[in-house]
Amino acid sequence: MKDVLDLANVQGNILRGYRGDLKFVRHVILEVTDRAAARRFLGASASGQVSDGTAITRASPWGDQNPATCFNIGITFAGLGALGTPSAMLASFPTEFTQGMARRALKLGDFGDSGPAAWPQPFDQPEQVHVIATIYAERHERLQQITDCVAGSFRVLGHRDGSARTDSNVLGPAYADDGSADNRVFFGYADSITQPRFRIKGYPEPGPGQSAVYRDQDPRFQDPVVALGMALLGYETPLEGVRFGVPMSYDLGQDGSFNAFRVLAQDTRAFEDYLDEAAGLMMQMEVEKGPLLLPVGGENAVGPGLDRLAALREVIAAQMCGRWRNGTPVAISPLQPLADPTPEQLSDFGYAPPRTCPAGAHIRRVSPRDGQIVQRAANFTRRLIRRGMPYGPDFDAANRDDDERGLLGNFIGASLGAQFEAVMCDWLNLGLHDPDITRSNDPLIGANSKETSWFDLRLMDGKPCRIRGFPRFVRTRGGAYTFLPSIRAIAFLAALRG
Amino acid sequence: MANDGGWLDKFVDRLPEQGWFKFLSNYFVVPYWFWREPKPKLPGGPRMAVQPGESLQRMMNLIMPLKDKSPIGRAKAALALGQSVDTLYAGLDNVGTIHFARFVIIENNLCMMSVYDGDFSSYVRDFIVSIGNVFDAVLIHVEGGDAVVPTKKNVEAFVDWVHDHDLFQMPDFATDLFALQDEAQGLPADRPPHDLSSLSRAMVLQLKANPNFALGSGFRSYAGFSAAQIREKFGVGW
Repeated sequence: MKDVLDLANVQGNILRGYRGDLKFVRHVILEVTDRAAARRFLGASASGQVSDGTAITRASPWGDQNPATCFNIGITFAGLGALGTPSAMLASFPTEFTQGMARRALKLGDFGDSGPAAWPQPFDQPEQVHVIATIYAERHERLQQITDCVAGSFRVLGHRDGSARTDSNVLGPAYADDGSADNRVFFGYADSITQPRFRIKGYPEPGPGQSAVYRDQDPRFQDPVVALGMALLGYETPLEGVRFGVPMSYDLGQDGSFNAFRVLAQDTRAFEDYLDEAAGLMMQMEVEKGPLLLPVGGENAVGPGLDRLAALREVIAAQMCGRWRNGTPVAISPLQPLADPTPEQLSDFGYAPPRTCPAGAHIRRVSPRDGQIVQRAANFTRRLIRRGMPYGPDFDAANRDDDERGLLGNFIGASLGAQFEAVMCDWLNLGLHDPDITRSNDPLIGANSKETSWFDLRLMDGKPCRIRGFPRFVRTRGGAYTFLPSIRAIAFLAALRG
Repeated sequence: MANDGGWLDKFVDRLPEQGWFKFLSNYFVVPYWFWREPKPKLPGGPRMAVQPGESLQRMMNLIMPLKDKSPIGRAKAALALGQSVDTLYAGLDNVGTIHFARFVIIENNLCMMSVYDGDFSSYVRDFIVSIGNVFDAVLIHVEGGDAVVPTKKNVEAFVDWVHDHDLFQMPDFATDLFALQDEAQGLPADRPPHDLSSLSRAMVLQLKANPNFALGSGFRSYAGFSAAQIREKFGVGW
């Protein structure tokens, strides 16, 4: 076991998000039909000696010149087999990965119209999905050019395209926007704000919202910097004495990671419709009981020019998410979004009493930070790296349609079981970590049904107010568990014989 | 009705009580069937449920065969557990999702019976983090235990090992067994649907693969509440 990280051996999309100019993404879903051709491609790709955009992007700092495209790959268990990985090595991979996302469906809340049986091509044939190549580009036409290069060595089963949106109006209402957000997603929230920050030997500790080695700040934050073993295989984890198993051999496993790739359709119309309904209900209650969620006169602070109903919609949306649409945490500002939140305000907060953010709020469920949780040893131990990009047509809140749109999400960590699945299973759905929310699912992305869903809003006097009857807003439309091999591992796979 | 008292029906009804038939079944018919229709050993513990309420109060019946099957061997296992019992209970408390846990020795098996909330692997993983060291001292007395010790360095293997040693739980709806057997063999679940009359045979064959098993998920006096909810209600902290 080594503890000094060689960034040039790590795929670039694990420790860093490709922000900035790379606004287009394509996930190309590939099958290995010609083992020799696939290996040749991987060998060239890992060597970096290709100039057609298929050289693997590494984690090494870019310096002043950002690349115009990036390229990374993930390989499924079936894909490792198709490339000819020896069976003893295959057997050393963890069970959740070998079973694959489709067979773990119930655990992830993927049932009914989210279930694998309802997934469209190519995810309806999980055994055929071998490699997912991800292309990031400044210019849209590069996506197809690079896809064509990949298609020479694999069978292309399909692809999913996404693109960053800056105009919040096309994603759903976003009030009190400071105008600078380039990370809006459907439902109208700023996303990808807090990422786990990793402690890496030889590098300064990262600042809030920064992934490890790409900015040098050293303030003290409540959100501790996470041990590298949560992101990469072969390093210490924050769980005392625990290391996640590194698949054999050393070259194949070390510095690798795992990814849950998900195509998540967001029913933006149903979400906005439900906010109308819930806000209308609160208005009716106010007639009898006086203001409950927002003081009279507080509307303008929620968003310029908002009437009472529109402002209540935003308060409810903020409590369901745990953030206002511009990213301001409800925990630090329960009654209005901050006009221009700083990175510290966006990322550096906790859930110590008094409880200003509802325990059931999305971001608190999936990452309870320092808040009291039932699984006492588990605070900060299920952190995930999230890389997402919206897909689908723009949404006009004034003219709501039902087209499919949503998020192409990568949920990365050294252990799918201890991070992604543990969050999905006990926290996001079920709400096991707080007795006040147990047996309820995440209001934004949980496996809800109108008949049973509930969420407790927090009123100004601190009392809960239960709202019900919201449908499942996010459906799974496909996905796969992939292994994100290190550069050496890709070269190792390329050099396999037989 | 078919079994209205004809001689053949009477004959067939009495078969299971006939000594020669029992002999034939045990030594020839069941092994032959099992050879013709092999049933993989089904893993233990509760299965994932769609309804959140069913994910609470789940049963673990962990059966760990002792290496040394003698009074002294049993005493060693009891001692390994007994000398750290305070640490063990403190650790179980720290896991937070456990209602009850008890340890018993039954016929050269050290058994851990517990009732816990939520996902099986999260439970076992939290368990390792809290009291992996104590459990390591016990596992060295258990068959196959050496391969998963120290548990903190063999997290994935230990979760799989427990899954394998946890008793298979017969489905509460007996016909669900078909789907479980299909799934274990990589076949589409109950497609085409199995003939209901083959259920008893399917069950006999499964009990050959899983000699010990739990009958359903068990009774709950206050179903659907987590340990933390109950502790909160009684004001004992969670």
